[in-house]
Amino acid sequence: MTTTPSIPQLQPVPVYSPAEYVERLLSGGTLLPNTDENLKEVVGVLKAYGVVLDAYAINLQYIANHQFLNLVPILKYFDGKVTPQKVAKHIWHDRINYEYAEYVMRTMMWHGGGGLDAYLDSDDFWACCSPAIQAKSRLNPILFVFNKIFPEYLPEQVRQLAYYSGLGQFWRVMSDIFIDLADCYEQKKIESVDQVVEFIKAGLVADATKPITYSVTISGTSYDIIPASVGLTFLPDTAVPYVESIFFRGTPFFGTVSYNAQAHQIPIDQAHFGYGALFADPLPIGGAGIPPTLLMQDMRHYVPDYLERLYDNSVRGQDDVRVQLSQSFQKSMFCVTEAAVRGLMPYPSDTEDPKERVLNRDYLSGWLKRLAESRLNVVQRA
Amino acid sequence: MILSALILIPLVGALLISLWPTSLSTTYVRRGALVTLAVNLVVTVYLITQFDIANPGFQFVERLDWIEALGLSYALGVDGVALPLVAINSLLCFVSVYISAAVKRPRLYYSMLLLIASAVAGAFLAQNLLLFFLFYELELIPLYLLIAIWGGARRGYAATKFLIYTAFSGILILGAFLGLALLSDTGSFDYNPALAQGLTMFQQTLLMGCLLIGFGIKIPLVPFHTWLPDAHVEASTPLSVLLAGVLLKLGTYGILRFCVGLFPAAWLDISGLLAWWAVVSVLYGSLAAIAQTDMKKMVAYSSVGHMGYILLAASAATPLSILGTVMQMVSHGLISALMFLLVGVVYKKTGTRDLTILRGLLAPERGLPFIGSLMVLGAMASAGIPGMVGFISEFIVFRGSFESHAPQTLLCMVGSGLTAVYFLLMINRVFFGRLTAADDGVGGSIEITLPKVSWRDRGPAIALVLTIFAFGLQPEWMTRWIESTTTAFVPQAIRAATLVSQPAQTTKLAFKNVPKDIPEIAPEIIPKTALEITPS
Repeated sequence: MTTTPSIPQLQPVPVYSPAEYVERLLSGGTLLPNTDENLKEVVGVLKAYGVVLDAYAINLQYIANHQFLNLVPILKYFDGKVTPQKVAKHIWHDRINYEYAEYVMRTMMWHGGGGLDAYLDSDDFWACCSPAIQAKSRLNPILFVFNKIFPEYLPEQVRQLAYYSGLGQFWRVMSDIFIDLADCYEQKKIESVDQVVEFIKAGLVADATKPITYSVTISGTSYDIIPASVGLTFLPDTAVPYVESIFFRGTPFFGTVSYNAQAHQIPIDQAHFGYGALFADPLPIGGAGIPPTLLMQDMRHYVPDYLERLYDNSVRGQDDVRVQLSQSFQKSMFCVTEAAVRGLMPYPSDTEDPKERVLNRDYLSGWLKRLAESRLNVVQRA
Repeated sequence: MILSALILIPLVGALLISLWPTSLSTTYVRRGALVTLAVNLVVTVYLITQFDIANPGFQFVERLDWIEALGLSYALGVDGVALPLVAINSLLCFVSVYISAAVKRPRLYYSMLLLIASAVAGAFLAQNLLLFFLFYELELIPLYLLIAIWGGARRGYAATKFLIYTAFSGILILGAFLGLALLSDTGSFDYNPALAQGLTMFQQTLLMGCLLIGFGIKIPLVPFHTWLPDAHVEASTPLSVLLAGVLLKLGTYGILRFCVGLFPAAWLDISGLLAWWAVVSVLYGSLAAIAQTDMKKMVAYSSVGHMGYILLAASAATPLSILGTVMQMVSHGLISALMFLLVGVVYKKTGTRDLTILRGLLAPERGLPFIGSLMVLGAMASAGIPGMVGFISEFIVFRGSFESHAPQTLLCMVGSGLTAVYFLLMINRVFFGRLTAADDGVGGSIEITLPKVSWRDRGPAIALVLTIFAFGLQPEWMTRWIESTTTAFVPQAIRAATLVSQPAQTTKLAFKNVPKDIPEIAPEIIPKTALEITPS
């Protein structure tokens, strides 16, 4: 009791202007400072994230394909393989929390954006989903009655299922990229944060035009919900809306902010939301509410040894591992954001043409302004 | 010999630690102290198992003439009032050594703690007024040193203030004891409830008043309380645990044993006034606690308030209220020790107790969620939520006092409500909200990572919480040891009182069916409940 309290060394948060970040990006630097610890955290957490994303992606696509218009999908998290052990594990709750994947899916659907959102509101979508709904209704009188009384209800369910599928396909790609990244790190092929960004960017660009499609099979007949002819592709129609709605906008952590418009605690315009992964406070992890806690809880089981050791040596050790995971995750998401931003840059970053350089600078300034209120400054701390 | 063992074990331990010829590492010194107090605790448990709960008088009596010319004898005994206090002394001394870690000058530190354990046990067990006084004064020295050497920044001020107040308290008590021996013309200081019977009411009131103020300083009662918050703030956590849990009880024990026990007539004569004094103490302590910004000061003022209940119950002097005084002593001992323990952990981990700085310590991973949860339980216990010992003791106090002192009891109950107010204020400020991020001086904030909380920090608090629940759910486990003594405590007292003031009525008091004229004859001094319970 009489020992001196060991208060850790406090460091102020460095403050950089957006222009300084733009300058750094144009001169080949990265948003996240290039340190060994940052590299370990980013790669380690992306490895754990990759494992979890793999499970999420498989489950999201399973729900989209095999739980189509199942209004009471109580076994949706079992991927079609129900065993007593899996049920016990599910109830015990030491499992992958697919609820988080659904939260992300709903947030994407709510914020919209990109080609997928536009397509789902079009007549083409209506034309595609009607036959599937009718086929399903023929087998199920409840659905039939439902569809007659509330003709908008089942199409809305199908829109959501399309998002299940879209997010599942997006995460399938991202999971593979992250696992490959961790493998390359372990093989010493990646030794700096800028190589991480470059690796992710290369992965995004390589799959940029990968088509996003969705079809379901009902009674042996295949119905296209998102046919390839719509022309939805990976980067503009899933990746960009995902970054926009999950990294930037997000939804306020439940229970911390009032959604009551009269309380003026949330922006009136949805586009001004700033509650996404890059803005989130990692500390309330472990409190009530779905979003961050469940993801960190899922990743906790797959943290690689080198990252585990890093956490063990921290002040609270494993006590606050979910908060630490959340902080590392935030760092890694700045790398993914940077990769996406670089991937969408109008001209190569090393262009010599002054006009192109100006346009590049304007483009980056636009992004960095949006990040002004994010935790970018916080992750600058060594 | 078992009672002497309770005094001698810690004393021998203290001597061994301080006089050990070779140099000892802190770990060994602490282990030595811990083993000593563990043995002491085992002996206490053995004493409890051997205690005859049906016997209201003193048991295990030991008597050895010491200085006959002075009337000083080494006389020990334990009854239902002293037993729980001896037990809580053994328990909390063990806890306070357990939570003491690396300290400077460990041999002096731990031998002082052991000396306190020994002196306090001696004071609770003494059956001779001078012997009580010796132990009462003996406990001051280690306590003074513990504050003055291992205290906080203003330890010199706090220790001196403590010494001046309690030395004055000692002078008053000694004066009263000497006066009693002189006026009663016995020449002996052996404890005897009949000692003051031959004295006039004025003499009794005068002597009792001296004792009351003397013990009132120790309890402390408003306006003699100002040394306590200062002492608590400067004292280290183990010492605060002892101070609140055990040492203040010397004052309330003294009031019960010597004011009520020796001068029941004078006591009952001014019992209404005493109850008003209790009201002032309770309300002042509670309101002052609301205004505090230091967690420890808040808990210290809550002690001032809660000790007022004991004066209230003692002033009513019904069998039930006397039971209430002992219950409240034990319950306050457990609860305040718990609160000081928890405040100590908060201070150790955050480096501050300032309510204007601390925020959000319930944060599940980075904060102190377990400590915070225990603090919520502690606050509930202190505020008298049913299911915990605080409720039982406060209920008995209020139930026992209400019939004779209704307005005072009702006002004291307001204090019980105020307990919830200040502790919820503290919990809301310290534990709710977002964990504090310190200002970095340039408009931003710095995230703070608090050090790990080990099970060693939590263990003692968990043990206390379990005890608080155990006695709250099954109060009989505690009352059975106390009840026969406290029930007999009052009829004897009232009989003694009435012998002085209304000798003709004494025989009637023993009847269960009270004649209708009794309330008219002695309405103030005969609480109805006492008459109903009086064995004929």
